[in-house]
Amino acid sequence: MKGTYLGEFEEVVLLAVAIQSGEAYGAAVVSEIEQQMNRPVNLGAVHAVLCRLQEKGLVSSHLGGATPERGGRRKRLYAMTGAGRRALEEIRQLRNQMWAAIPNPALS
Amino acid sequence: MQPPPPPRWLDRLLTWLVAPHLHEEVLGDLHERYHRRTQRLGYAAARRRYLREVLAYCRPSLIRRKPQVYPSPFFLNPDMLRNYFTVAWRTLTKSPTYSLVNLIGLALGMACSLLIGLWIYDELSYDRFLPHHEQIHFVRVNYNFRGGETQTAFATPGPLADVIDRDIPSVAATTILSWPSETLVRVGDKVAKETGQYASVGFFDVFELPAVQGNAKTALANLNQIVISQKMAATYFPEGQAVGKTLQLDNKRVFVVGAVLENLPANSTLQFDWLVNFTVEEKEWQSAWTYNAVMTYLRLRPDASPAQAETAMKGLFRRYATFDNKERVILQPITQLHLWGDYKNGVAVGGQIEYVRLFGSMALFILLIACINFMNLSTARSAMRTKEVGVRKVVGAGRLALMGQFLSESLLMSLLGAVVALGLVWLLLPPFNAIFDKRLALDLADPARWVGLLGLILLTGLLSGSYPALFLSGLRPVRILKSAGWRAGTGPAQFRRALVVFQFALSVFLIVGMLTVGQQMHYLRTKHLGLDRDNVAYVTLEGALNDYEKTEQLRQQLLQTTSVAMATTTAQLPLNIRNTSTDLHWPGQPQKQLVSVATMSVGNDFIKTMGIKLVAGRDFRTNSIADTSCYLVNEAAAKLMGIKEPVGREITFWFGKGPIIGLMKDFHLGSMHQAIQPLVVTFMPPNTQYLLIRPRAGQTPQALADLERLVKQANPNYPFAYHFLDEAYEDLYQREQQVSTLINYAGALAILISCLGLFGLATFTAEQRTKEIGVRKVLGASVASIVALLGGDFLRLVLVAILIASPLAWWAMHYWLADFAYKITIEWWVFALAGVLAVGIALLTVSFQSIRAAVANPVKSLRTE
Repeated sequence: MKGTYLGEFEEVVLLAVAIQSGEAYGAAVVSEIEQQMNRPVNLGAVHAVLCRLQEKGLVSSHLGGATPERGGRRKRLYAMTGAGRRALEEIRQLRNQMWAAIPNPALS
Repeated sequence: MQPPPPPRWLDRLLTWLVAPHLHEEVLGDLHERYHRRTQRLGYAAARRRYLREVLAYCRPSLIRRKPQVYPSPFFLNPDMLRNYFTVAWRTLTKSPTYSLVNLIGLALGMACSLLIGLWIYDELSYDRFLPHHEQIHFVRVNYNFRGGETQTAFATPGPLADVIDRDIPSVAATTILSWPSETLVRVGDKVAKETGQYASVGFFDVFELPAVQGNAKTALANLNQIVISQKMAATYFPEGQAVGKTLQLDNKRVFVVGAVLENLPANSTLQFDWLVNFTVEEKEWQSAWTYNAVMTYLRLRPDASPAQAETAMKGLFRRYATFDNKERVILQPITQLHLWGDYKNGVAVGGQIEYVRLFGSMALFILLIACINFMNLSTARSAMRTKEVGVRKVVGAGRLALMGQFLSESLLMSLLGAVVALGLVWLLLPPFNAIFDKRLALDLADPARWVGLLGLILLTGLLSGSYPALFLSGLRPVRILKSAGWRAGTGPAQFRRALVVFQFALSVFLIVGMLTVGQQMHYLRTKHLGLDRDNVAYVTLEGALNDYEKTEQLRQQLLQTTSVAMATTTAQLPLNIRNTSTDLHWPGQPQKQLVSVATMSVGNDFIKTMGIKLVAGRDFRTNSIADTSCYLVNEAAAKLMGIKEPVGREITFWFGKGPIIGLMKDFHLGSMHQAIQPLVVTFMPPNTQYLLIRPRAGQTPQALADLERLVKQANPNYPFAYHFLDEAYEDLYQREQQVSTLINYAGALAILISCLGLFGLATFTAEQRTKEIGVRKVLGASVASIVALLGGDFLRLVLVAILIASPLAWWAMHYWLADFAYKITIEWWVFALAGVLAVGIALLTVSFQSIRAAVANPVKSLRTE
């Protein structure tokens, strides 16, 4: 069902939005991910994911200030919603649960 | 240093690709990253990366447009359509003056084009009712006199048809017809003249005309049978069955009715009420190759082409008619016979088709003028409707929807106009038919008419609605709504001026046309013709009067009455002398040079009765047998022969060698389209066909009564009928008369419609400038200066129109007049008068509104804001 499942890239983007809380917009999210994961990320892909997250209600957005290097265009600033936070926590909990279920010898 | 911005085309591609609601953030982010890269990696690398990133936006989730919250319906949605018409109706009823002005203009224009459309439809439909009309051809012959232009004869030698039938395999059937003649028909005590023709037996193989009773083909083959029309059957045999009954032609031969044909429609070039086998009345000269005596028609086989047949017929004259080898048989499709009557150099160059074109363009002009009215008023009023457009656009109307609305307004208008126009046409058809000698009817059962009408409505609606629709729908809502006092810019104002100029140019053109055609017609009527056709009455010599003795006795009796001044007889009416002959020879004639001269035969007192001036010599002596071998010639003939003093010189003509006894001053032989031709008049009293009398001054009614009494007494078996020569002469100018009438009405209509438009515009300007006029008056402007202010604008336009139209009109009229050998010269005052008329009418129209605006109390206009 839509809204419950988060893909890997979606999770990463949502995390980046959370990290930059309140100051997250397309270009900034891309830089954040590139820095953290040390891999090139496509802006178009990020925009598509941001749109999808917003459709699912995991992030909200409003238009922010413009800067000259943007050609006078305004940023769309994204913020995580309560639902987004719950979704991330659910994933984390699931992972922890699964980590805990791993028998010790397997890790050594 | 500011780095160069990313490539514009990529941005444009992106805005086209990506959904509009994402533009702002996507482009912003891209530019930000690009900016940063130019600083870090340099311009070239940044550009490359920019391209890659832009291309990555090719994903459906970003391309897909956001669904609108309030979707605007498709502009042709039924609900929208209903809405258009509701709004259109409200707009129309809101300002009844404009709507009325528009409606009257459109209705008049449409009525005019409908009438002319009906006329054109009728003209083009000639002979199309005939079964297999595409195979039927009319046969003409091209002659080429030595060195001269090729001339095309309407008539053909009698034997030609049989020869074609025998020798040309691609011809299925041929027939010959005599000229239609009015002949006396008698059944019991019912007597009247009916038009009929003599036809060869192939007639019904060429024309498969349906018979109502009997077998037409066998009836025509039978020498004592006659084929009659339904109309004639109803007149003479009202009891029903006509076949088997008898009737008498010309008080001589009795025929049995063999078949009854359906009546021929009015749009048929064949017009007869009875048909008899050709051999019954065949004359010797009708079977000679040397006379063009009959009309020949043929029908090709379905697979044959006329060009092939013409080629096959090339050698016919050489084979059978030994005298010359320059003749060429040419075929004309029967559907073109009516429209293409004029041949020049052996090919059809025109005829009635020119009038079809002329009338058609006039109809179009008038419709155009009416449409322009609508355009003008709508754009003028657009200033008031810009708010409406703005609000509509703000609440989501698309451009198409707005265009739909304005077009539906004009369509509604043209629909209303068409309804009124149909009413007008219904009222005007009887007088129109009378003028143009037609039997047109508003037959609404015919689907073709409906299609035509619908086409007219659509054409008018789209034409008149196009400019407002395009212009108003293109306005930017922000600009309209932001500036409260938005006014129509210079664009539409210029356009409006251009339209007014165009309208008035057309009107001036038509006025000049009216004046010139009228003048030429007046000239034709009043020019001294060289012979006096006024107040001459004539009767046909028939029945007992075919006997020369009796005719001469009658003539003498007439001359003895107190009312008749002069009387003569002629073989041909001196109206349109078209008989020509190449038989003229004279001493000193260049070897082998044949000349063609006009000729006519006359009886006693011809010169005296017709008022022809003799330059020298004398008239034929009454009943002188010696004079039958004498000739009268006109000055043109003397000039042709190169004889200075022709009287007394001997020439050879029809009746052998004989002296010229008189030289006639040139007079017009026919209509003034032709120059005066050389003419030789022969004296042949027994050969005459008409008796012409000239009553004494003021005694015409008495003379006619005497004529009737004496003719009836001499020829009791025939009904008495007389005509006036000048009336018959007028018939020669029937086409010109029709053009003259039409151009008069068209001109009046064009001016009327233009004035309606001008009136509407003037009303509008006066209204728009109410405040301005108020302020001017308060500051002390006089009524006169305000009227001048308002009228001056329009006056300038009309002046420009006159300047444009005058040369065009001059050229067109010159072209029309070129068709006359005798014509007026176009004088400058015609243009001046047309100009003054146009200006006067425009001023009159405009001043009414201007004066009303100028005398209005300024307090009233300035009180409210």
